[in-house]
Amino acid sequence: MADHSSSTTHSRFFQHHFVDADQQFETAKMGMWIFLVTEILMFGGLFAAYIVFRLWYPDLFTQASTQLNTFWGGVNTVVLIGSSLTVAMAIKSAQLNQKKNIAINLGITLALAAVFMVIKYFEWTHKFELGIFPGQFYDFGGIEHEKANVFFSLYYLMTGLHGIHVLIGMGLMGWLLWRSLKNHFDSEYYTPIEITGLYWHLVDIIWIFLFPLFYLIE
Amino acid sequence: MSGHHISTDKTLLSVAAALLALTILTVGVTYIHIPAPWNIITAMGIAVVKAGLVALFFMNLYWDERFNSMLLIAGLAFFGLLVALTLLDTLFRAEVIPAF
Amino acid sequence: MDTAESSSTSKKIQVQRFKPDDNPDKHYLNEETGLWAWLTTVDHKKIGVMFLSAVTFFFFIGGIMALLVRTELWTPAKTFIEANTYNQLFTLHGAIMVFLFLVPAVPAALGNFILPLQLGAKDVAFPKLNLLSFYLYLTGAFVAIFAILNGGIDTGWTFYTPYSSTTGGAVTTMVFGVFIIGFSSILTGVNFITTIHKLRAPGLTWDKLSLFSWSLYATSIIQILATPVLAITLALIGMERILGIGIFDPAMGGDPVLFQHFFWFYSHPAVYIMIVPGFGVVSEVISTFSRKHIFGYWAIALSSLAIAFISFLVWGHHMFVSGQASLASMVFSFLTFLVGIPTGIKMFNWTATLYKGSIDIKSPLLYIFGFFFLFLVGGLTGIVLASIALDVHLHDTYYVVAHFHFVMVGGMVMALLAGVHYWWPKITGRMYNEVMAKIACGIIFVGFNVTFLPQFVMGSQGMPRRYFNYIEQFQPFHQVSTIGSYILGLGFLMVFYYLVKSLFTGKKATANPWGSRALEWQINTRPPLHNFHHIPVIINGPYDYHKPMEEFQLGLAESTGDGHGQQSDIKVTSDGKEINAE
Ligand code: HEM
Ligand SMILES: [Cu+2]
Repeated sequence: MADHSSSTTHSRFFQHHFVDADQQFETAKMGMWIFLVTEILMFGGLFAAYIVFRLWYPDLFTQASTQLNTFWGGVNTVVLIGSSLTVAMAIKSAQLNQKKNIAINLGITLALAAVFMVIKYFEWTHKFELGIFPGQFYDFGGIEHEKANVFFSLYYLMTGLHGIHVLIGMGLMGWLLWRSLKNHFDSEYYTPIEITGLYWHLVDIIWIFLFPLFYLIE
Repeated sequence: MSGHHISTDKTLLSVAAALLALTILTVGVTYIHIPAPWNIITAMGIAVVKAGLVALFFMNLYWDERFNSMLLIAGLAFFGLLVALTLLDTLFRAEVIPAF
Repeated sequence: MDTAESSSTSKKIQVQRFKPDDNPDKHYLNEETGLWAWLTTVDHKKIGVMFLSAVTFFFFIGGIMALLVRTELWTPAKTFIEANTYNQLFTLHGAIMVFLFLVPAVPAALGNFILPLQLGAKDVAFPKLNLLSFYLYLTGAFVAIFAILNGGIDTGWTFYTPYSSTTGGAVTTMVFGVFIIGFSSILTGVNFITTIHKLRAPGLTWDKLSLFSWSLYATSIIQILATPVLAITLALIGMERILGIGIFDPAMGGDPVLFQHFFWFYSHPAVYIMIVPGFGVVSEVISTFSRKHIFGYWAIALSSLAIAFISFLVWGHHMFVSGQASLASMVFSFLTFLVGIPTGIKMFNWTATLYKGSIDIKSPLLYIFGFFFLFLVGGLTGIVLASIALDVHLHDTYYVVAHFHFVMVGGMVMALLAGVHYWWPKITGRMYNEVMAKIACGIIFVGFNVTFLPQFVMGSQGMPRRYFNYIEQFQPFHQVSTIGSYILGLGFLMVFYYLVKSLFTGKKATANPWGSRALEWQINTRPPLHNFHHIPVIINGPYDYHKPMEEFQLGLAESTGDGHGQQSDIKVTSDGKEINAE
């Protein structure tokens, strides 16, 4: 970033091994991007398994996906998109020094994430009632395919890992919210919101792919 | 901190609206039953566009250092390698001889 | 202090001569003392030292297990332990050596200490994550030890399904431990890449980056791209055991070969996580002790990146007999041969560096010579194994065991020892006994060959690996190998002895005992807590032996520029004439 004119080296959260706040910010951001690469490859293992099995048993996926509720999957997609928007708004508010808006936007993000998890909870428990348990506990007669359990293993693993990421994201959002209420953030220093935001958007992106891969198979 | 890109409300809201529209689109096209390989290609195509919008405008890659975009691309490329070389096996296996 | 001024197109930089202190009163070890200060330190040097101690500890644990395994193999049937114990011992030997010793040894121990010094930085980019990485490593190690004491594991370090998903014992706990260690490794990778990008001192352009830093950069790339896949794969094994998810377990509808794909997608690149930092050490030591600019700087730097990339394309060479498609085997075999190219480039450049240098065979260089011979054998036998037709015969025999010990012990451990000997004065402020170091190097070299050369022979004659019993025909080979392992163990003990002894009675080291041009040698021996009192300005490259030594002391100087933004933005001309000493 070209402009170095500000004398921002004296923020409360400035660390001594950096030259200035800008360097600290860019460094943190790059670190987060590198971490996101590791996230992509971690999910990548599961996506790879998905692709292998889907190419082996296309029928299985068509049949089994009928058990998933497209409506609620769609609602959850919209919920996550909304939360991505509010995170971006929180960052913008910080940049413009609108401190109250930071907290409000973070609060909405947290609430939307909670909505997502509640919907997930009902989706999962509904399946459990039908006997669609993961792995060897699978006990559902409605799908005529010998590998039906594998499809649902993938479903539970991928949405489960994603759900864990949402939960971690909620923890982070809560922490940011608390810090923003303590007035830690302003246009000079908002690095944690920026990089948590990056993380949150990635979680959103992963859902953007999970949605068609599980719910929209015809 | 000056010098960082600040998105306007207009940009952020239009991106969100586009994402919403694409979500409706991707659900919508399932009703017209596109024939086999093309349905998944359409679905993934839409997902890629959505992900691209999030990455470019919510994650600010559009204005950011190029290196961060390279990181994202590298992550995807190596995921691609994992898939491609694995498929080189799983799609081309000889049928296992029944007697084994 | 002399001052000089360097003008460049954009900024003016005030450069001050700066002579490092040989033995300053204050240094990183005594500025913050006490146990608590150590445990909570975010200083990369202390974290490096703690990692070095930890990996040494695990090296000895793993080593004892190896000696037990070798002793058991003295006779064709049972010698002194049960078959089941034997299985657990070789599993733990492999797992400890790979995950707790080799992977963190050079990057997390030496790299942590040296990298910021070579970059002219005060610390790594994320000092707290660095400390977290150390604690994750310890936590993972404790979980692994817990697994050993609570049921043990007998799967081999490779955890192949369906055996690992069905056998008894504490496999779930163990994979969880390795999972945690994986995150430690990821954090190191994240930290190093960011540090190299963002914290280089003014003037330290990419073409002045030391080759050790380049190698750590390549290593970190592998760490961040490969380790997450291992993490998810291990998690899937855990899930397979707990829930029976049927991704890998054929009884539940899964595919065990898929596990091997995922596992080797990590583990082949991981062998380069282990060796590439070693390559970096070689470059540093070779240049320093030949008093010569490294030959083919860019070739060496870029071949590290090339190796990092190619290492992701070859994993299937571990699966030639697994039932994978023959098409895949052919492609993987072909791609594997390609690794030989960048590796060969490195070897040739190193030897070319020696040519016409004023070679000073100090112990670090001697270890590197050991590296040359052993790694060459290891690498060439790798090419042999990459040929499908030969591998069908050699797979899972002692030939493979010998191959990877030649690269991992002969290559990596020798390079590690070279690095430890090379940087020991900087780290501890003491000199070790040079004569003993040379003798120990000789003992290790001999012991190593006596241990592993016979394994090539018996492997090619059909002796399978990981077997408790064997036919009598192989006994002489096994016995020679076992004797060799004792010699090797003796050599390592000797190194341990004289290094520890030097801490107490060793001669005090000077700031730059080897006359090196690299940046880490231009500061006090036993560096100060924050490495540099002033932001250094880098004018000369780390291998510029054609320039007089004084010019390097110029390099460490104070920047009076407004010093904002990315440090490396500031350009300093490398042309000596521009700097007018007053
Ligand atoms: C020119 C470079 C190399 C080539 C072509 C090569 C090739 C191979 C091949 C084909 C195998 C499989 C043999 C089999 O299981 O049948 C193998 C195994 C192995 N290699 Fe290498 N290798 C090379 C360098 C290295 C390096 C640098 C390391 C480590 C620092 C290494 C560590 C290993 C290990 C640990 C195994 C055995 C894994 C196991 O099954 O437990 N290799 N190598
Ligand atoms: Cu390999």
